Amino acid sequence: MSEAVSASRETAALSVKNFEKKYKDGTVAVNKISFDVAKGAFFGFLGQNGAGKTTTISCITGISYPTGGTIEVFGRNVVDEYKEARRMVGLSPQEFNTDIFAPTWKILDYMGGYYGMTSNERKERIEILLKQFGLEKHRDSMFQKLSGGYKRRVLLARALIHDPDLLILDEPTAGVDVQLRHELWKYLEDLNADGKTIILTSHYIEEVERLCNDIAIIADGEIVAHGTKEDFVKDGNTLEEAFLKITKDNDNES
Amino acid sequence: MNPNMINWTGLGTMVRVEIERFMRVATQAIVAPWITAILYIFIFGSVVGTRIDTIQGKEYIEFALPGILMLSLIGTAFAQSSSSLYFKRFAKHIEEILVAPISNGTIIFAFMMGSIVRGLVVSFAVLLTGVFFGAASFYSIGLFIFYIVGVAGIFGLLGILIGLWAKGFEQLNALSTFIITPLTFLGGVFYSITMLPEIMQKITIWNPFFYFVDGIRYSMIGIAESNLTFGISFVIAMNIILFSIVWYLFKIGYGLRD
Repeated sequence: MSEAVSASRETAALSVKNFEKKYKDGTVAVNKISFDVAKGAFFGFLGQNGAGKTTTISCITGISYPTGGTIEVFGRNVVDEYKEARRMVGLSPQEFNTDIFAPTWKILDYMGGYYGMTSNERKERIEILLKQFGLEKHRDSMFQKLSGGYKRRVLLARALIHDPDLLILDEPTAGVDVQLRHELWKYLEDLNADGKTIILTSHYIEEVERLCNDIAIIADGEIVAHGTKEDFVKDGNTLEEAFLKITKDNDNES
Repeated sequence: MNPNMINWTGLGTMVRVEIERFMRVATQAIVAPWITAILYIFIFGSVVGTRIDTIQGKEYIEFALPGILMLSLIGTAFAQSSSSLYFKRFAKHIEEILVAPISNGTIIFAFMMGSIVRGLVVSFAVLLTGVFFGAASFYSIGLFIFYIVGVAGIFGLLGILIGLWAKGFEQLNALSTFIITPLTFLGGVFYSITMLPEIMQKITIWNPFFYFVDGIRYSMIGIAESNLTFGISFVIAMNIILFSIVWYLFKIGYGLRD
């Protein structure tokens, strides 16, 4: 288990080295963690609430600044080379962080514009995504009028508008019904098969077990386990059992 | 795309979003300040103004109109950037911009542009009303545009500062209620400082808003009560200083990425 899945800088989609996030009040949310995510991996990032998953994701994507260490996306530093790094990342966040009064197509259009896509590129890409996510009949619907499942679809489509190489999904199936969850899993598997690197956080362990081939567990701001799915389940445990054991052991130690 | 280049499409999109945001609430954002200005023009032009002597050879409404225009401009420019940024932070959709390859300078400039455009729309509406009342004139269109854009830029930047700092609606309105509105009214919107007692005249020249009102008044009716070179330099300097402060706050992530 201690033998983490490693990837050299040249082959890493994401390389995190001694990354630290300390808040002004002295709280250390993430404590000098290091891990790599290989190109093309489907990476599961697990942890209890408040473990540091979303903080790490925020610093990878630019929502927050790291206070120590380095984060690189395909070899590009997310602070010094943020423009190149951000162009390669798409984020579907845990919270519905969009203009709730905007219609679906405009949410996608705005995001494409922020990424520097031309009007024609945006139009073309929006049509593809609306179709892929079954959002065609909701293209003019205001975001706040959509059901939870459709809101998730919009955020996923938004994350993909600029066709990023690294897709980060923070609880993408929270509040989504079983049928849609299965549809989304299939879609994510297809994206991964097409070469996209995906980082997934989820409280549904079976989702991570089904989709991910590389898994890290974060607890109290530190990586406490990192390995392949097989590493976690080799003793006959399910991933959920392994996760509970590791986090419990960590609680006891701390 | 060259990473050192400005993300023009990103900038254009941000400005478009700002304009669409205030057009979505046009009654509040455009019509309300316009109606307030119409009432001022009507009352001080047709009711009170006719009983007041000319000021430096100008009808009272001609003298007051530039001040009324500046009053509307300052309020709308400040409200645009402060409320837009605050609500984006509050609803977290500022994150859509933070994850995008857009520099801090571009983000600040886009919020400023939102304030300037909304200021221009309201100013144009007030100006049209002035034309209707026969009170609008131009002495220097170049200076008029300079003051409209320059002052809207200043209050757009001040709005960004408050939008970053505010933790709630009370704080969002505090600067406007306790500083901007009183200082604008006391900056000679409705009167010439020569009408004031000497001590008040000395105090007024320390009121920065006086130079904004006086500058736009000069551009419209050719009457200035302050040193115009100082006024123009002051507007440029305030834009540079405030932009630098806001840029530094964005750089350290204050209120956004902290």
